[in-house]
Amino acid sequence: MEADPPSTGSPVLTPDSSSHDALLSAAAASPADSENLSPDELELLAKLEEQNRLLEADSKSMRSMSGSRRNSGSSLVSSSSASSNLSHFEEDTWILWGRIVNEWEEWRRKKDKLLKELIRKGIPHHFRAIVWQLLGNATDMPVKNQYSELLKMSSPCEKLIRRDIARTYPEHEFFKGQDSLGQEVLFNVMKAYSLVDREVGYCQGSAFIVGLLLMQMPEEEAFCVFVRLMQEYRLRELFKPSMAELGLCIYQFEYLLQEQLPELNVHFRSQSFHTSMYASSWFLTLFLTFLPLPVATRIFDIFMYEGLEIIFRVGLAILQYNQTDLIQLDMEGMSQHFQKVIPHQFDSCPDKLILRAYQVRYNPKRMKKLEKEYTTIKNKEMEEQIEIKRLRTENRLLKQRIETLEKGQVTRAQEAEENYVIKRELAVVRQQCNTASESLEKAQDTIRELQQQRHTEQFVNDLQTQLEESRLRQAELLGALKEMQDKVLDLEKSNCLPDENNMAALQEEVKQMKLRELETLRSFREMQDTVTDLNQRWQHHMSRGSSTGGGHWKESPKKNAMNELQDKLMTVRLREAQAQAELREVRLKGLSTYYIAIYLRGTAFRLIAKLYVQKRSSSRRKSSKEEVMAVRLREADSMAAMAELRQKIAELEIQKEEGLIKGQLNHSDSRQYISQLRDQIAELKNEVRDAIFYPPFEATLLNLPGSKDSVKNRLDSDRHAVGTPELLRRAKFHETVERIVRTSARRAGRF
Amino acid sequence: METIWLYQFRLIVIGDSTVGKSCLIRRFTEGRFAQVSDPTVGVDFFSRLVEIEPGKRIKLQIWDTAGQERFRSITRAYYRNSVGGLLLFDITNRRSFQNVHNWLEEARSHVQPHSIVFLLVGHKCDLEAQRQVTQHEAEKLAGAYGMRYVETSARDAINVEKAFVDLTREIFELVRNGDIQIQDGWEGVKSGFVPNTVHSSEEVTKGSRQCFC
Repeated sequence: MEADPPSTGSPVLTPDSSSHDALLSAAAASPADSENLSPDELELLAKLEEQNRLLEADSKSMRSMSGSRRNSGSSLVSSSSASSNLSHFEEDTWILWGRIVNEWEEWRRKKDKLLKELIRKGIPHHFRAIVWQLLGNATDMPVKNQYSELLKMSSPCEKLIRRDIARTYPEHEFFKGQDSLGQEVLFNVMKAYSLVDREVGYCQGSAFIVGLLLMQMPEEEAFCVFVRLMQEYRLRELFKPSMAELGLCIYQFEYLLQEQLPELNVHFRSQSFHTSMYASSWFLTLFLTFLPLPVATRIFDIFMYEGLEIIFRVGLAILQYNQTDLIQLDMEGMSQHFQKVIPHQFDSCPDKLILRAYQVRYNPKRMKKLEKEYTTIKNKEMEEQIEIKRLRTENRLLKQRIETLEKGQVTRAQEAEENYVIKRELAVVRQQCNTASESLEKAQDTIRELQQQRHTEQFVNDLQTQLEESRLRQAELLGALKEMQDKVLDLEKSNCLPDENNMAALQEEVKQMKLRELETLRSFREMQDTVTDLNQRWQHHMSRGSSTGGGHWKESPKKNAMNELQDKLMTVRLREAQAQAELREVRLKGLSTYYIAIYLRGTAFRLIAKLYVQKRSSSRRKSSKEEVMAVRLREADSMAAMAELRQKIAELEIQKEEGLIKGQLNHSDSRQYISQLRDQIAELKNEVRDAIFYPPFEATLLNLPGSKDSVKNRLDSDRHAVGTPELLRRAKFHETVERIVRTSARRAGRF
Repeated sequence: METIWLYQFRLIVIGDSTVGKSCLIRRFTEGRFAQVSDPTVGVDFFSRLVEIEPGKRIKLQIWDTAGQERFRSITRAYYRNSVGGLLLFDITNRRSFQNVHNWLEEARSHVQPHSIVFLLVGHKCDLEAQRQVTQHEAEKLAGAYGMRYVETSARDAINVEKAFVDLTREIFELVRNGDIQIQDGWEGVKSGFVPNTVHSSEEVTKGSRQCFC
């Protein structure tokens, strides 16, 4: 491959003695170099600087858009005043550069500033190959030897490379056409590199750089330079799949933009015109796709020496140059401007662009800082990404879980239903069990109660039997009491209690009374008979009298008077008999009361004795409360009975007394009456004697078998019977009865 | 000459490298077919006005993206502000068809919380002889994703207009229904025409544009 005729060289000032002073002054600016630079070189440096000044002054007139984007082989039309010296310059530069190449090491180490300036001015075209290699330190690389081997290998990126090759520098002569040599070598180098650097592989855009290299040098050399570029010039980082370096470059570029073109920056932001929209290709292809080759190659020259810094500078220079235009445009407009306008702005004079590039403030330290910042940000982002990823995975897993859970929900719902039913049943059964156990308990309780009751029943039975026993004993005691009572009576008798005498006397009296009673009854009956007889007779007489009528009128008053007297006598006698009967009745009553009193006394005595005995026995026994209570009850009962008896006795006594008194009274009345009757009878008798008419009648009347006399006798006997001694005895009896009652009561009370 | 448009839609064109995204766009916006052109390094920007109905003009801003996967870190920033997209694959490249799924995932994951209306485009349909993807299966895939399918050829200008106009119409309907809304800070849909800034785009492309309506 031969170098093309030099066409893209920049006008370089030839050393001119006229400007020696200028050079010297310029040389003063760089004292370090002045020692190392030859006078020629110094002069050259001065000229370069002067040119720069010219360019600056000329910057306004540099807006010419001429030439197409990619001019292969077309030379730039220079409008600078030094155009006439072009060929001369070229010759000089060639010599210079020849020298530089030969003395590379020296130039590199000692004359680097001048070198820098020279490079900025652009490397002569046909020196580029060697200079680039020298700059890239790619002259002696071991990988070069591998190249042929690599070509034999196949790369996974081949297909992609193939497709892209056709699109790389499509209008360039060298690469035009599918079977062109350019495409072939390009393919080779790309493939070879993709095999050498598997991590990067092949990245679109990198082909442009390789293509450029291939325009200058053979494929092996190009390959080596490319390897160097990738490895030493951060390009590798740019082209890595992550393209992290690109992000950093954008970040740094944005900083510069913000720092140095704040208005434009604000405008970009307001229009959402992101840096990556226009600057991505700048870094990835080093302006090779953005600017025409001549300009881009100049930049590439500088890039080879100074690295990515130039890209920042140029980029910012471009923006600064177009600031006023861009601010007026919206995003679309800006895009169009970038695509169509800017690329050709520096066609005629790339130096201006480069000059402007070097007016951009670039602080390497600040760049480093930004790098760190960016790394931190990126790391954070990555962490967040990881976190997001983790959360997404978690989310997915949880969703899956939810799915499975939901799937299981149906079965679980069923199970829950069944559970519920079972629980209900269980509750019901439990309740039943509870009620059953409760009833069982109740039953047991009742059983126990019943058992207890039976026990109490027995107990009651026992008590009842005991009661019966006690009653038997009571009966026995009664019997004993009776005996005791008799004994007491005997004792009373033996103790000369008038009771016994009285008893005997009373018994005699009773007998007598009985006799008298019988007698009186007899006499009463007799008298009744006589009365009825007399009545009959009277009536008969009366009837006779009536039948006879008046015949007996004269005699009737006498007879009547006799009759009357007879009547009176009869009535008197009747009355007498009645009185006696009454008297007898009373006496009987008295006797009966007396008997009752005796009986009562006896019973009282018995009761008292019984009580006494019972009490004694009960005190001895000391049995259950019930017995005591029963005994006490009995005692109370007997006390009550006793009181009743006493009352009765008292009443009877009173009756008796009444009866006696009555009897006495009657007797006394009847006595008087009887005496009256006797008088009357005597009178009547006299009268009757006077009267002869009715002797039988009188006789019958008077001749009653002892009627009068018997009556009299009886009356007398009665009188005798109801005499004072009798009374005294009676009173005495009464007293003793009272006394007995009192003592027995006392005794009972003691107990 | 100012044209008034109802809305401005931002579209993004994605797909594998070398499927023909740039070609398609250039055909649509510049009316020309370049046999070869540079691979897109990063993103490229184009625009054009379409009339979906008489009197209804929509301005389309079209972003051309680099197909190579590693450029996604750059291109993914552009999904969010796009309302519509053309998902391209090469009918002569089966791999590109298989990667459609990846592109869709990529777009959907980076467009949140907005959404993009996609059109599946099978490009290079003029190369029938080298077809590796049938129309039927492509249609099936499109249906599965809920998008339409068009086969285009930038070279022969087949369905190029149709692809863009159909997508525009679809988006327009959604905007009209309110399913897609204009939001502050979202570049996807913009309304009206603000005669504030110089729209040099109209002036510059006016001359080179050929109308294919």
